[in-house]
Amino acid sequence: MKSKFILLILLFSPSFVFSQNQIRKCIICHQKPNIHKVMATGIERSVYVDKKVLKNSVHRNLKCQDCHVDVTSIPHQGLKIGRVNCARCHFNGNNLGAPNSPMYQQFWESVHGKKFKADDPGAPRCQTCHGGHNVFKPSDSRSTVYKKNVPATCGRCHKKELKDYSGSIHGVAILQKGILNVPVCTDCHGKHDVYSSNMSASHTSKQNVPDTCSSCHDNYSLMRKFKLTTEQVHTYTGSFHGIALRFGEKTVANCASCHGTHNIRKQDDPASSINPVNIPKTCGQCHKGANKNFAKGKIHLNPENKDSGLVYYISNFFFWLTTLTMLALFAHILLDLRRKLKEKKEEKETHK
Amino acid sequence: MNTEKLKESISLRVADSVLKKIAGDLAIPRGRAGRRLRREAENLAYIEIDRLVTTMSDEIAGAVQPRVEARIRQILFADKPEESRMFNRFSLNIRTQHWVMAVSVIILVITGMPIKFSNAAFSAFILKLLGGIEVSRVLHRIGATGLIFVSVYHLFFIIFTKEGRANFKLMIPTPKDAADILMNIRYFLGRSREKPKFGRYSYIEKFDYWAVYWGCIVMICSGTVLWFNNFFMHNFPLLIQHVAKIMHSDEALLATLAIVFWHMYNAHLNPSKFPANMVIFTGKLSEEEMIEEHPLEYEQLTGHREEDQDEKK
Repeated sequence: MKSKFILLILLFSPSFVFSQNQIRKCIICHQKPNIHKVMATGIERSVYVDKKVLKNSVHRNLKCQDCHVDVTSIPHQGLKIGRVNCARCHFNGNNLGAPNSPMYQQFWESVHGKKFKADDPGAPRCQTCHGGHNVFKPSDSRSTVYKKNVPATCGRCHKKELKDYSGSIHGVAILQKGILNVPVCTDCHGKHDVYSSNMSASHTSKQNVPDTCSSCHDNYSLMRKFKLTTEQVHTYTGSFHGIALRFGEKTVANCASCHGTHNIRKQDDPASSINPVNIPKTCGQCHKGANKNFAKGKIHLNPENKDSGLVYYISNFFFWLTTLTMLALFAHILLDLRRKLKEKKEEKETHK
Repeated sequence: MNTEKLKESISLRVADSVLKKIAGDLAIPRGRAGRRLRREAENLAYIEIDRLVTTMSDEIAGAVQPRVEARIRQILFADKPEESRMFNRFSLNIRTQHWVMAVSVIILVITGMPIKFSNAAFSAFILKLLGGIEVSRVLHRIGATGLIFVSVYHLFFIIFTKEGRANFKLMIPTPKDAADILMNIRYFLGRSREKPKFGRYSYIEKFDYWAVYWGCIVMICSGTVLWFNNFFMHNFPLLIQHVAKIMHSDEALLATLAIVFWHMYNAHLNPSKFPANMVIFTGKLSEEEMIEEHPLEYEQLTGHREEDQDEKK
């Protein structure tokens, strides 16, 4: 009876049963929590597989051997078993189920990919960030690359950055308050396309930082949620710093020069780089010997905003001065031109 | 009249009449011997004419010279009488001040406008052409130095020189200027046949002068704050930078528009001056232009002409 039932299932969904069978075989040993192997370097490494995790992962329908291709027999003592190569399925143009994306190629050009190619032992592989048996979709809260989990994932290697970020306004918002609108590592640095900030292609290069920040800070409806304005972006792009940066000046300040990178904090936070107490130090990075006068007044001042006071009135004064003066001058020019052309015409006629 | 033919025919006519008279007095035989005699007479006549003209050349010249000279004098002075009277409008000093300022302002506008309109396509193009923002910033400071220099020089000019003081006094707006504006507008509209009579400086030129005066004060003061930003941020609140920036940027646009449209039209591009007014190059104005454009100054100058010349000496 039982064998008949299995046969029936085998007929209708062969792969499912087959994979279950395969996993069942491997899992006999690999479900033991203390199972481990000894690496060539002498380090012991756990090879334990949590069956529940694997069954829920995006790869639940795959056989063990689909990834661990060099395991050809059980038991596999004496076999050389290498790392799983995700690119066997995850390449652009594969139509057998793995999602298509240019990301795979981007990884090889990224700072991580280049280090990996150079055999840097610290360089991350796909599994380093995405997990081995516990691969979930990024939208799944169990995923290591789920937005809220990204800081911890990157922070496994980038420890100082994680520490700075955790105390920052962005970090506190997502890690403590669970607000998912704020940026995590990948929102600023890119996902697979993480480049060194020295490279012009990097999202965090000197010239690209304003664009990266304004992808959120120029979004009016998003900023309104947090009672922020988008003015900072426009006042920066209109300032000498912003203009010079766009024209390729390398030494001029961008958003990060003043606000910091991982440790961006609210102005009233004493640890903030833009807290009035810290302004002399922050401005002093470029403006040597900056003093507390640098902190007297707003940097992001919008002349079109009435709150700007004096600057608003000067701006309006010049607008009307220019408009009225030029209107009067143009009227005078046109009247003079009309009269002079008329005179010339009359002169010609009398000469005839 | 063709004088080449005339030159030939004079001696020819004299020789002809000599031969005719000889033929009347003497019976010259026909045939070969007669022809030889006639040729001999013709040759002798030419030799005698030549001798006579040579000996009398001074007398002939004396008789011809006054008649020719009278006619040439007539041509010289009757056809172009006004060219003999040019008026000095701008001295070399004034013209030099103008050109130092003009070149400085052109440099300032070319290097400044791309910063004001940094999003426009032409800005990136101009800055690329100049060699980037690093170069354009240096050029802007060179232009600024020129402008500051000429402004300070001008202050000394209007305070310490006789020419400067006299010209500055004439630049001060008077009630007559207001009346002139109204009169000119009536004239433009055809309500009045009479043009306002301007002195040395019309209200148009006075506007130009005072616009530059105001512009230089605003641009130099605000520009200095921006140039030496570290010094000013050290000693004054940050607000001064914002104030300087907005004034520098807005006044720059007003000044550029006024120069490009108002000054260029009134000085060069209007139909009576088109395509260019040479007075700023030569410093000289013709009598006709003086009567047309500065009738009051013309009256004053021609009324006290001796005095004027004495002053120059």
